[in-house]
Formats: sequence, structure tokens, C-alpha cells
Amino acid sequence: MHKKKQKAKFLNRELNWLEFNQRVLDQAFDPTIPLLERLKFLSISSSNLDQFFMVRVGRLKLLEQNQKTKLDPAGYSPYQQIDAISKRAHRMVEDQYHCFLFDLDPKLVKNGIKRVTSNMLNSQQLEYAQRYFDAEVMPIVTPMLIDPGLKIPLLTNGDIYLAVRVKPQGNGAPEARIVILPISKAISRFVTLPGTGAYEYLLCEDLVKLFLGKYFPKEIILECITFRITRNADLDIEEDLAPDLLHEMKGVILARKTGACLRLEISQSATLTIITFLKRILKVKRKDVYPISGPLALSEFTILSGLQGYSDLKFQPWAPLRSIGIEPTESMLETLSDHDVLLLHPYESFDPVVRLITESANDPDVLSIKQTLYRTTANSSIAAALKKAAERGKNVTVIVELKARFDEEQNIEWAESLEHSGVQVIYGIKGFKTHAKLCIILRREAHGIIRYMHFGTGNYNESTAKLYSDISYLTCNEELGQDASSFFNTISGLSQPQPYRKLEASPTGMRSKILALVESEVERKKQGQQAHIMAKVNSLVDPQIIKALYQASIAGVKIDLNIRGTCCLQPGIPKLSENIRVISIVDRFLEHSRLFYFYHGGERLTFISSADWMPRNLDRRIELLIPVETPSLRDRLVSTLKTYFRDNTNAWELNLTGQYDRINSPKTKRGTCRSQEQLYRQVEGSIQEIQSSRPVAFEPHIAPSERNL
Amino acid sequence: MNGAPQESKVVSEMERISSKSVAVIDVGTTSIRMAIAQIGGPGGIKIMEQLDQAVNLGKDTFTLGAIQKTTAEECVQTLMSFKKVIREYQIDEEKNIRAVATSAVREASNRDAFLDRLYIATNIEVEAVEEAEVPRLMYLTVASSLNSESKPLNSDYLIVEVGGGSTEILLIQSGSVVFSHTYGLGSFRLRQMLESYGAPISSRKEIMENYIDRTVAQLRNEVSLKEPPDIIVLGGDVRFAANRLLSDWNPGKLARIRLSSVSRLTDKVLAMSVDDLVSQYQLSYPAAESLGPALLTHLILGRSLRVKELLVSNLTLRDGLLEEMTENREGKDMFREQTIRSAIELGRKFNFDEPHALHVANLCTAIFQSLQGEHNLDQRYELILKVAAILHEIGTFIDLKGQHKHSMYLIRNSYLFGISPKDLILVALLARYHRGATPRNTHEGYANLDRMSRIVVSKLAAILRVADALDQSHNQRLKDLQCSRGNGCFEITALCASDLSLEQISLSQKGTLFDEVYGMEVRLRGAKVDAI
Repeated sequence: MHKKKQKAKFLNRELNWLEFNQRVLDQAFDPTIPLLERLKFLSISSSNLDQFFMVRVGRLKLLEQNQKTKLDPAGYSPYQQIDAISKRAHRMVEDQYHCFLFDLDPKLVKNGIKRVTSNMLNSQQLEYAQRYFDAEVMPIVTPMLIDPGLKIPLLTNGDIYLAVRVKPQGNGAPEARIVILPISKAISRFVTLPGTGAYEYLLCEDLVKLFLGKYFPKEIILECITFRITRNADLDIEEDLAPDLLHEMKGVILARKTGACLRLEISQSATLTIITFLKRILKVKRKDVYPISGPLALSEFTILSGLQGYSDLKFQPWAPLRSIGIEPTESMLETLSDHDVLLLHPYESFDPVVRLITESANDPDVLSIKQTLYRTTANSSIAAALKKAAERGKNVTVIVELKARFDEEQNIEWAESLEHSGVQVIYGIKGFKTHAKLCIILRREAHGIIRYMHFGTGNYNESTAKLYSDISYLTCNEELGQDASSFFNTISGLSQPQPYRKLEASPTGMRSKILALVESEVERKKQGQQAHIMAKVNSLVDPQIIKALYQASIAGVKIDLNIRGTCCLQPGIPKLSENIRVISIVDRFLEHSRLFYFYHGGERLTFISSADWMPRNLDRRIELLIPVETPSLRDRLVSTLKTYFRDNTNAWELNLTGQYDRINSPKTKRGTCRSQEQLYRQVEGSIQEIQSSRPVAFEPHIAPSERNL
Repeated sequence: MNGAPQESKVVSEMERISSKSVAVIDVGTTSIRMAIAQIGGPGGIKIMEQLDQAVNLGKDTFTLGAIQKTTAEECVQTLMSFKKVIREYQIDEEKNIRAVATSAVREASNRDAFLDRLYIATNIEVEAVEEAEVPRLMYLTVASSLNSESKPLNSDYLIVEVGGGSTEILLIQSGSVVFSHTYGLGSFRLRQMLESYGAPISSRKEIMENYIDRTVAQLRNEVSLKEPPDIIVLGGDVRFAANRLLSDWNPGKLARIRLSSVSRLTDKVLAMSVDDLVSQYQLSYPAAESLGPALLTHLILGRSLRVKELLVSNLTLRDGLLEEMTENREGKDMFREQTIRSAIELGRKFNFDEPHALHVANLCTAIFQSLQGEHNLDQRYELILKVAAILHEIGTFIDLKGQHKHSMYLIRNSYLFGISPKDLILVALLARYHRGATPRNTHEGYANLDRMSRIVVSKLAAILRVADALDQSHNQRLKDLQCSRGNGCFEITALCASDLSLEQISLSQKGTLFDEVYGMEVRLRGAKVDAI
């Protein structure tokens, strides 16, 4: 019988991403989630959308401007994509405001968090507002006159502005003019009002509107509306032309402030006069104008969701737990020379990683520390430890990636302060973004020099380690150590790439390694063996990997994919992808770890990685693929992967139409599986198990002089 | 949990001394490479890091004749960056850093200036490996690893390395190096030849094939092989091929790659431009340039020796250097054996009196050892003496008259495995002084030596003369000698029934140098068999 071969099919990456953001927004609608958490999901969906416009839409607009008509794998031209995105995004924004205005805001009021509008202020509040305006706002917010004949003043990406149409009093006066007032980020968006028990706040733009007359004492205010613009931020630096990258980076941050305007969000009530005016000066088209029915920049409401107190409106805290693989009284280096350690963040604390680096900084036998830093916090204790190590005369080399999007400013600052302490700082690699997370510690020990490594899927950032699901793998395995050093020497320009024993890196060998692993499952299946692939990534976009997965499905290999964000693979198509299942988990922690499993004839090869399955990660970034071969750790990773596929409370499944269906939770509590909760409970359970199996023994603190008696 | 580690600290302090970190650097044709390793620990040699940076040395030397200034500065930069890693491991003693340069530097017309520049800029002393030393290092690299092979090798095998400017071939038969030669066939030379002909791409392969064929024919003339040998190949080009052709190569073992697959890969590589090779295989430019011609050379060599597969070794010159630095006793003995066999091979070429030569050599060793307290020379000189003893009379092949002088120039113009050019001069001089005039400052060769070497020549020649006198009969009748000292005499007692006057007369003539050097008269005394 002749089998008709299905052509590989791809979903459009931008539209699929928008569906991911819809899943985040769905959480904001979910009545089973605490109210402030819902507000937080809403604000995340809003800031996600902002970034999406700045980067993805910005990129498409550039393609369109340069008249690139190449179709994407799904068959869309840039113009078609922009058009489809615009339609979908308009609907999403409507949903967001529907959620805020008709669902969350009324419920917040009921729970004592009240947004006060200008006509609702009582006399005490009005008096306070006026004082606050005079002292804090008036000196900062200054009107900008817009004269179309002159240069248009710079409007900042993401800031809120008031557009005011005013007219001098009296007949025969000149025509109305338009004035713009920037609501500077220097002023708090949420102005807390004196209240009667509940938390009452006034939005800053509403406060300015209230006292607008003070700016225009002799004029009539015809109209006052708010608006906000989003600019193109997908600006690549021409690295070949940048002998001093640090200097160039500072330029990019500036350029981001002046990129083309991609989106104009404007109060629904704005008249055509103002809309036309803004469209003209900002050079935006009609479909780029988003009429907004509520407060702008919902992303900033994340501040409100973090209000002190109101614990009944928030998730129960799940404090990061200690790892049972680590003895708190033992040094990390001692622990690691005894056994490998795997940490599942944020269920398990990130502290051991920080501790490892801090201890190494203080250890007299440590010779050198080498590390990559991509996104780190302002007061990072890791960076502090690295500085300390350098000050103590150790060889410390750090690759700071200045090109980490939107974090450049912070990274530049850090890089400079590290350099001052004597750390050798390498500012990334020409043409590539360093995204691998690796730390190598070289230590002289009894049997020679031992290398300790930390491999991660997430950044060395203590605050995101509490919110993102990531994996840390700590080991002193010799082969991994040799590979890790080779890798570091390669990316720091000391050596050409060497063949690896265990690791694989992009942009050199990672894609072919993954393809070979998939191919090997196909081969085994064809020979009648069992075959199974499981993968967890944030995005699956790479056409080569998608095609390989289709081939595997055609061969009958069972494939389970857990893809939080963008997925361009279409599962469930007969004779193409019927053996592939794609789920997405959206819950309180951001799923971020990359984790792969190949049955491989029973060897169960398991890897962690810093890379998503996107061309960007496999071709233009420096990334790592790390095998975890220690049996107990590998088993734990496999069991973690499987837990996600059992999720039936916070999982969505990609269906045949390219849409996502939320997996229905069972009616009874017994059958429910919320993967993030299960993973947390597992760690909790294993700690309890250890504590109960340990005999109660008290260890008194003994004075040093008594110890040897 | 607490307490126990305290004790182990003491032990660890002692163990710490035994293992040390060393760096070996190889300034090669297409790249400079470094290995950092720990040696002397319980696990033998443990490689910590391998670094590799592309340079254009081969291209410069084999096409222009000299190393360009920009290339020299690139080398300086590379060594400077390698030094960072060396410092990380706190390797600060000079003896723990060994840096060598191979043919691309050796054959450059400005080699000394280049090496001086490296030393001035980096404080690393890079030593150009002499042509004669290359086979020794190649053998050292490969030999120790062969024991771990699961499939035993043929009794005849070749070790081959196709470099940028030349090809080294060693033939090992029944465990000894019987032949080694450097052929002027190299990947960059081939490339240069094509470019100077302006050969069109279509006929390039053919031209190279012709050229390689000629060299391989020469090799076939020089060595006699009854059946196809195993061919062990070294070098980056074949390692690349093995990595492409075998997905699961265990780098600790030889990779067996089929000649037919090599052939396909060679065709593919030759059809690609250098730019394509660089982007498709992530090669450096110099490596991409040498790849095609090198693979073709291996292929033709394999074909003409009628082998079905090539055995690719993952080992490099750095492994050989590390092996040398570990001062591995076993390795050294194996080496001595190879050198002695190579000397015997040379002797046979000149129809020497083998039993006599070997007997004198053994007598020399015995006397050398019993005089340790007097001459204070290390084992290297014992080997030099032994080799000289084996070869002392090869000059008779030319003429009996002045045979010692003939021996000298024959040795000086021969190749001896494991003997550096400097040491070869000593060997030649020793053979010269086994008879005739004693060393004089007017003698050619001797006059150019430094004082230390002149003393060495005198000390060793004195022993050789005595040993030669003891086998004046050329029938090895004196065995089981015992040496003793007394009354300003060095007395040799031979277990021998018959009359010793032949030897005694000979000694009285040839023993004067000994007397001058050691301040002792040599006496030979017979001991009755039944008296002992």
C-alpha cells in the first residue's frame, strides 16, 4: 500500500507565542488563584506583551521596511505576520482590560485595595493630594510644547504621557494647541492616600490631571488623555565595528530610547484630533494604535500585587528548602568531593551555589575561579565573592555578557566594578551571546589538582532562582572538568574548540548532537526496540529539530514535549506527528529549566542545558548541553520530567488546530496533580524522611580548649 | 563526621609532593598547542587541559622560507595567553615547562631570530626539535600506549606522520625500530607546488597523486615488507578524519578507519574550498588548508602498501613529551634497547664483526659501571659509550688503514635512533679514539667541543680502548671480569684458563690514555678456574 507522506508543518512562532501569553492571562482570570497573584499574572502578561513588541514586532517591522519578503517556515511573510499579530494583540489587550476593570479591580475594592479616581476624593484626601502634587510632582513634571515645525521632543519607550489640548481664553485668540506632559518614572505610579482603613491609592497620571489647571492658568483645557509608546529595541550592535564593546553597549541603551515607534496605547476617550496628531508625529499606522479603556501600563501593577500584608490574597509561601544531598555543617568542596549534587530550584535553595563560590574565595588551596555571568542581581553575593577571591590573589576570570537584553546597564556597572577588584573580565564573544551557565573552581588537593564545577540552566541570580524553575548540577567529575576547561578556554579566546568527551556546546556541535540522539531513537525503533524522547524547553522553534522529531514520530517513537512558551511543532497530525504530545505548564513559578531524556536502548541518556531549541540558541549563542550520568541524580531528573506530564491543574495541551486546551482537572482532589506543588512536596517529604530516620542526638557547642580532652 | 579528616591531612601533605603540574607546548605547523598535566601522582599522567591556537607557521616556512613578522607576533600572543593558564596552575619552575617547535620552525631561515623573539617576549624557552629527534619522540608517543590495545598489531608496523613540510615514517619490526626516514613530502609543500604550477582544480588531485606516488615508491624500495604492515598514523588531519568517520571513537584506543571511507572523505574535502571547510567543519584556516593534501598522502600510502585500514592514534607530540617528563624507568629502558638495536642495524650495514662489537660493548658497560665513582657520568653516557663500542670498527668497511677515522665520518653522517645530533658527535669521536692518537686540540671535531664534552670524550675513550684491548683476540674469550682497585692500579681479573699475554700486551699499548685520565694503571690478571 502506498503511504502518502505528510509534508512537515510549522506553526508561526509569533502567533504561538501570543497563545503562551494568553495562558498567562488565563491565570489572571482563574478564580481559584488568590487575587493579588491574579493581578500579578495580569501584569506579567502586560510586560510580556511590551517586550514582545519591542523585540519581535520590532524585528518584523525592520524586515518589512527593508522589503524582505522571505516567508517563515509556517508560510507567512513579514507583513502577514505583523497583520496577524496586530489582530491577535488587539483582542488580547481587550481581554486584559476586561479582566482588570470588570473582574480584578472590583474584587480588589471589596478586599480593601481601592483605586480612587479624581472625583471620588474626600476633602482630607484632596488636601493631601494637593500638598503632594505641589511638593513632589509639580517640580518634576514639566510640559513640553510640541511645535510640528520644530524637532519633536524625545518620547521615552514605555513611559506614560498626558496629551493636553488647550486654548487661550477669549474670542479671537489663536487656535488650540497640544502640550505633552511626561509622567516621569521618577515619581511613584501609585500615590497612597490617607484613608479609612482600606488601602486607597491614586494613580500618578490621575493626580496630574486633577491639578492640570496649575500648568495652564490662563487657558481652557479642551481635552486631556493619557498615552504610551513602545519602541523598537531589537538593535544589534555591529560588533566588527566595535573595538570597545563597553562603549558601544552604552550607545545601544541610548539607541533603544530612540528606536522607531511600534505601538501607541492611548485612552479610549481621545478625540480624533489628538489621535491624528500623535499618529503623525510618531509615524504610526492605524492598526498600531491601541485604544485603552483603563489605566495604562498594567505591567506596573506588579508593584501593587506585592503590597505588604494581604497574605490571604497571595499564594502560601513555599520557602526554598535545603537539599538533602548537602550537609549544612560540611564545606561544599568537601561535599562535592564525596558525591555529585543536583539542585531543583526554586524548590531547593540556590544558597549552596553561592556558598560554593564564597567558600572558594576564602579557601587557601583554591587556585582559580572561572565563571560566566549573564544576568545577575544588583547586590549579587556571587559577584561579591568573585571580587573577594580576586582581592585575595586568586585567578578569577569572568565572562560578562553585556548583550543580555534589557540588562545591559546593570551588567556594564558590574563588569567595571569586577575589573577594579582585579577580576579578569571578558566582555562576551564577538558575534555570539554567552548564555551557558558555568563555574569552574580549580583547587590543589592531596592527590593533585581537582576541578569543581557548577553547571546550570538558569542565571547566577539569587532573586530569579526563587521564582524560576531551574537546575544546578555540581560535580568534580574529571571528564566533565576537562571539557569544562576546554569550553572556557575556547570562549575566552585561548584556544580553538577541542573535541569534547561529555559536553556539547553551541554553536559548534549541539544541534548535531541532538539530531543524532533523535536519529538513534528512530534507528532503535525501526529495529523493534523501545524508544522514547522527553524534552522540556522554553521554546521549540528550530526547523531542523522539528523535522527530526516529525521523522521520529513517523517511525513510531513516543515523544513527550513540555514547552512552556513558543512551539512551532504541530502535534497530533496523522502520519506526521501523531506520536508527539506537547504540553505547557504555567503556574506560580516560571518554568525555565531545559531538560532532555532519550531512552537510548535502556541507557536513559539525560541532559540538562542552557539552550532552547531555537536557531538563535543553537547558531548564535554559546550554550552547553550537559549529561547527568550519576544514576541517582539521573533518576531524579527523569522522575521530575514525568511529573510534569502528569500535571492536570496547570497544564495546557497543544491541539490539532494549533490552539491550547487546558487539561481538565479531575473532580476529586485525589486525582489532581499540580506538578510544581508535587515537586515541592517531594523535597519536603525527603527532608522529613531523613529527619525522622536520624536518631535524636544533641551536639553541644564546646569551647575549643575542651575539645581534645 | 568531625575528627577523621584531621588525620588524613598529614598523609596528604606527603602525597602532595609526589604529584606536580607541568605544561608541554608544541609549536607546530598549523597551530600551537599546549597540554597541562599532572604527573607523578598515583594515576600516572593526568591531562588537565588542552589548548590549541591556529598559526600560519607551516604556510610561511614551506611557501616563503621564513616566518613572517605578523605570524611571529601571533605566536607571541598565543604563548602569552597560554602563560595565563600556566600561572593558574602555579607552574613556575622552568623545568616544569617544556616547549618544542617542529619542522615549520626548524626549517625556517630565521628560526633563531624567531625563537629568540619568543623567549624575549614570553620567557618561555622553545627548543626546535632536530630532525633526528623526531622519530624518537614519535616512537615515545606511540609505544607506551600500544600495550592497552585489545587487538594486537602485526609484527611489522609503520608509524607515519604527514606534516606541513615533511612526512616521517618509522618501521617497527618485531618491536624494534629498524628504519626511519624523513621524506620531503608535506601538505603545505604540496599546496605550494600546485599554486606555483597554477594547476587547475580539476587536475590538482592527479598532480598531487603523481607526486606522492614517487615518494611512496622510494619508501617501498627502502624497506622490505613481506605482507601489508599495520599503519599507525598521527596528526591533526587524520584525527579529524577519524572523528568524522567514527561516531564512537574511544580516544584512548587506536581508531581503525577503512581506506575506502578515507578515500570518500578525501574526495569530498578536495572538492571543497578552504572557506567551506572552515565553516562546515569548524576548522581553523591553516588546518583546513592542510587537510586535503594530508589525507591524500595517507590514502596513497595506504593503497600502495595494500592495507585495508589505517590506525589513527589520538596521541600527539605532547603525549610523548609528557612521557619523557615523567622519567618513567620502564620507558627509558625500552628506549635504550631501541637505540642499541638501531646501532646494530647500522653496524650490519657496514658488515661489522658483530660478536666482537657486542662483546666490547658489554665490557665497556662493565668497566663504566665499576668506575662510577671516578668518572661521575650519568646513564646517558653509558649509552653513548655502548653505541660507540658497537660501531667503533665500522670504518674497516672502507679500509683497514685509518679505519678509526672512517668510523668517525660514517657515524657522523648516519642516523641513529634516539641519539641527538650533539651526542652523535660524541659517539663518532669515541670511535675515532678507540685507537691511534689520543685526543688533541688540533683534531677536527674534537676542537669544537666545549671543555666538559672534551673531558667526557677522554673519559669514555679511555674505557673503550681498554675494552677493545681485552678482546684483542676477537673471539670473546674473556668473560666474567672482576674489577678491583689497589696500589694505584685498576686491576681486571679474568676467569680464564689460557694465556693472557695477547691481551696484556695490547693493554700496555692502549691503556696509557686510561692511566692519564684516571691516574691508575690498568692491569689484567688471570684467575684459574678451579681457584675460584
